[in-house]
Parts: sequence; C-alpha cells; structure tokens
Amino acid sequence: MTVTFWGQEFKVNIFIGCIGGFLIAIVSSMFGFGGGPFMTPLLAVGLGLPMYLVVGSSLLAIFFNTVVGSMRHYQFGNFDGTFFLIMFIPAILAGFVAPQIAKRISPLWVKRVAVVGLLILASQLLGLI
Amino acid sequence: MKRYWLSLVIALSATVFMLYQDGAFAAKPKEVNAQNIAAESKPAESKAEESTDGITAQLDKTSLNNGGKIVITGKAPAGKPVYIEVWADQKVRSSRFDADVDPETGQRPYIFYLTEEMPAYYKLAVPKDFKEVLEAEKKEGRKWSVSKVLRNTGAAAVYSAPAKGKIDRYQTSLIASVIGSRGEMLPKMDAGENKRRSMQLVKARFRDLPKVFSADVDISPDGSFKAEINIREGLAPGQYNVVAAADKDIKTKPLAFTNNISFPTMYLSNAGTSLNIFWPALLTMAVTTFGVLMGAGGGFILNPLLLSIWPLPHTVVAGTVMPTVLFSQGSGIYNYSRIKFISWKLGATIGLAMVAGGFIGPKLTELVSLDQYKFVFGWILIVLAALMAWQTTPGYLAKNKKEQAILKEFQKRAKEAAEAKKA
Repeated sequence: MTVTFWGQEFKVNIFIGCIGGFLIAIVSSMFGFGGGPFMTPLLAVGLGLPMYLVVGSSLLAIFFNTVVGSMRHYQFGNFDGTFFLIMFIPAILAGFVAPQIAKRISPLWVKRVAVVGLLILASQLLGLI
Repeated sequence: MKRYWLSLVIALSATVFMLYQDGAFAAKPKEVNAQNIAAESKPAESKAEESTDGITAQLDKTSLNNGGKIVITGKAPAGKPVYIEVWADQKVRSSRFDADVDPETGQRPYIFYLTEEMPAYYKLAVPKDFKEVLEAEKKEGRKWSVSKVLRNTGAAAVYSAPAKGKIDRYQTSLIASVIGSRGEMLPKMDAGENKRRSMQLVKARFRDLPKVFSADVDISPDGSFKAEINIREGLAPGQYNVVAAADKDIKTKPLAFTNNISFPTMYLSNAGTSLNIFWPALLTMAVTTFGVLMGAGGGFILNPLLLSIWPLPHTVVAGTVMPTVLFSQGSGIYNYSRIKFISWKLGATIGLAMVAGGFIGPKLTELVSLDQYKFVFGWILIVLAALMAWQTTPGYLAKNKKEQAILKEFQKRAKEAAEAKKA
C-alpha cells in the first residue's frame, strides 16, 4: 500500500501493519487499555510513517476496538451516566485542541510527546508508579 | 470555525438536557435534604440504645458532612465477639463474569452474575483479635476471598446486608461476552446460593480487602465494646445503617446516620461515589488532549489517575472512561482529517485487523498470568520509546530524506502562517 503525505510517498507493508494491529489488540484487551500506546510506535517505527500521519491514522485504527469495548462495558453494567456527562465534553474538546497543537508544533515534538506517553505506560506495567 | 461553535453548542445543550433528565440537579439534592430533615427531627430515636437479646449499641452522631468518623459504643454479653456491619441505603450495580475453571467438572461456566442491589457502601468491622487473619488474607493479593475472611473471623453469621440483594445470572459464552452479550437468563438462585454469590460480588465491587473488612472493634472483658468507623470523603450520600451483632440471633436493630453532600459535589449513582465535578472534567481535558496528541485516546493514563484520586470502583472507571475516550478519539479523527493528518485506508485496514484480535485476547487472558506479561510488555514499550526518541535525533534525520522534506515543509508552513498573522 502506498500512502502519500505532503508530497512524499511512503511504501507501507500492510501485512506487517495488520499482523501488528492484530497482536496489539490481543495484548491491549488483556491489559484493559485501548491499544493506542502500541499503535503509535507500530506506525512510526514499524512502518516508518511520518508522525503527523501516525497520530491521525492510529486514532482511526484503535477507534473500532474502542466501540466494541464500550459496548461490552455498557452491557455489563459498568457505565455511569453522570460520570460520563462530566467527562465527555472535555473529551470532545480535547479532540479539537490536540490537532491544533499538533499542527503548530514540529513533528519531532509530537513524537517526543508520544515517547513520554509510552514511558508512562511502561512504568505502570513495570509497577514503578 | 462556525461549525466548531455549532457542534460545541449542540454538545453543551445535549448535556444540560441529559443532566436535567437524569434529575442530577433537581431531584437528588432534595432527596438528601428530606433525609436530613427526617434525621434531625428524630435524633432521639437513632441515638437511643437499641437492644434485643442482650446487646446494646449507640452512635456518637446522626449525620456526617461528606465523610467523617462515627464512633459506635455498646455492651454485649461478656466473652462474646462483636461484629459491626455498616451499609448505605443507596444501591449500586455489581457484576462478575465467572470464567474460572470449576474444580468439580473442569469446565469454565461462563456465567454472568449481576445485581442492582449492592449497597453503595459496605463495611464489616471484626474484633481487633482478628487483625492477623485480615493481614494474612491481604497477602493473598487479588486472590483474597470474602467467604474465607468471613469463615476465619467467625463473621459468616453476621454478614447480611449484601446477601439480601437480588442477583440475576445469565449463561453466556466467551465470544458473546466480548461484545457484552449477557446470553440467556438462568433460573433464580435459592437464598443460600444467593448469599454465596453475593460475597463474590462484594469483592468484584469493592475489590480491596480493607474497603470491606477492618479489625476495629475493641472489646473489654466485661462485654462493653467500642469501634470507630471512618467514612471516607466522596462516598454515597443518604442514610447509612449500623448493626452490632455477637452472632446470628444476638444483634441490635439498625441504627442510622446520614451522610450529606452539596453541589458542586455530585453523587454518581452507579459509581456510588460523590465528587466535585470540576476536577475530573479538568483532568479529562488535560489527559485526553495529551492522548489525542500522541495518537491514542488517553484512557491508559486517565484510568489509573481517576482510581488513585477518588474512591471510585475500578469497573465503573474502566466502563465509563472507555466511552469517554471514544468521543475524544472520534472528535480527534474528525479534526485530524480536516488538516489531512490521516490515512483512511491504512487506519481502517489495521483497525479491522484489531477487531479480530480483540476477540481472541480474552481467551488468552484465561491461559496466561498477567503479572509476568506486564514485565515483558513494560520493557517492550521502553524499547519502542527509545526507538521513537532516536527517530527525533539529528543522526537519524540526516539519513532520512523524506523526514527532512516533511520538516522543511512544516517550517515553510509555519513561516507562512506567521506572516499571514502579521499581515
């Protein structure tokens, strides 16, 4: 598969992408998080895509699993309506604010932000925080 | 820009409407007030010594303001152990998916247990002598069991409030459970089985042993006893009931006190928790912005933070953060697509592969121990983080012409934007 971004062509091995996505979904459903923290490095390091394209496409890739996971939680009675209402407006706003920040800072800095995110999750898994 | 404001207005009005429907602003505070008045008008009754069959007890106060300390004193027959059961009138949901191997048949039952009638707060204080029993069970970590603690402390006969709630059970399958299908409802359980399952649901709901049990009852040789129960900040409002018991038949009638909260602290009816709504909103804003910026939802940071700050049950946090993150991702996708930072075919293809993996993960969870894997994936993430950090170093960039071209393009666009602003 060929992906174009800002006039540059990137050849993507979609086979690696799908196997990676499949494995990430297994791992993240085991630990109970969305998979985003693994998806970003898969696209950036594994497939060598530019960071700007990675953030958007990663969100799209994990979106489907978030839908399935939300359904499961809702059916199993783990959903609190008031709590959701408190959090969902800030969440929607965040979806507007973050792309504006991404656009204004260099792709190198977006990548460094992601590195911080990965290290936070790593220290959680290793029991450091 | 116009569309931005329009969607904001729609979101805001939808929220206000839903809050109104939910009665969060109107009904609930009134309910609390009503209980207040009731409690104030007859303080003598709840303070009076309640006695049946030789045990008496009283509370030092009748109301609390978003948590506090309640002291229970009384007298029981000399030489008897005294247990104190405290529970809230507010009910919450608790559920458990039983996929553990049945030791008798060797099969996994895949039965889903659900109750809507779990007390939002439950505590069983046992005599101080059992401190070591509780400590020993705490060492079991996640594997601690309510029924074992009840047995080892002799409290089994006293345990009653959660056992009265009706529990439904459903026969489902693992694959069906991934999308949350509960399957078929099974016949009602008898009282004994209901009680046994309620113990598992108590653990599923409150998770940590110290939240359910404490060795707080100080008993003198003459039979008089004293216990301090600490009601944390952020618990359910409304009436709480206290019963002191020496065994199944020797117990007091319920003594009552109320816990009051006021806006902007609101009660989350499923979470069974009261909190000041501004802080979680701010926290969500900050964390999901960070999450969307790195191409994830932010749930992996939001979940543990919420759990560490407020006394929220982990199931409700996971089950509410997931749909919240759905919206940060959805709005992130929309806004990234407007600035063309997205490849639809790549994201959708990998997304579909992920859906397939999401169905297999739960099956694997049954087969492996998570603790070992946490270590492995923790280190994998550190390696990935190092690789990504390396991609931002000048050495890597010098070799990668395409990255250079994109950086140049970014600088060009930034310059243009700055000039456009000046002009």
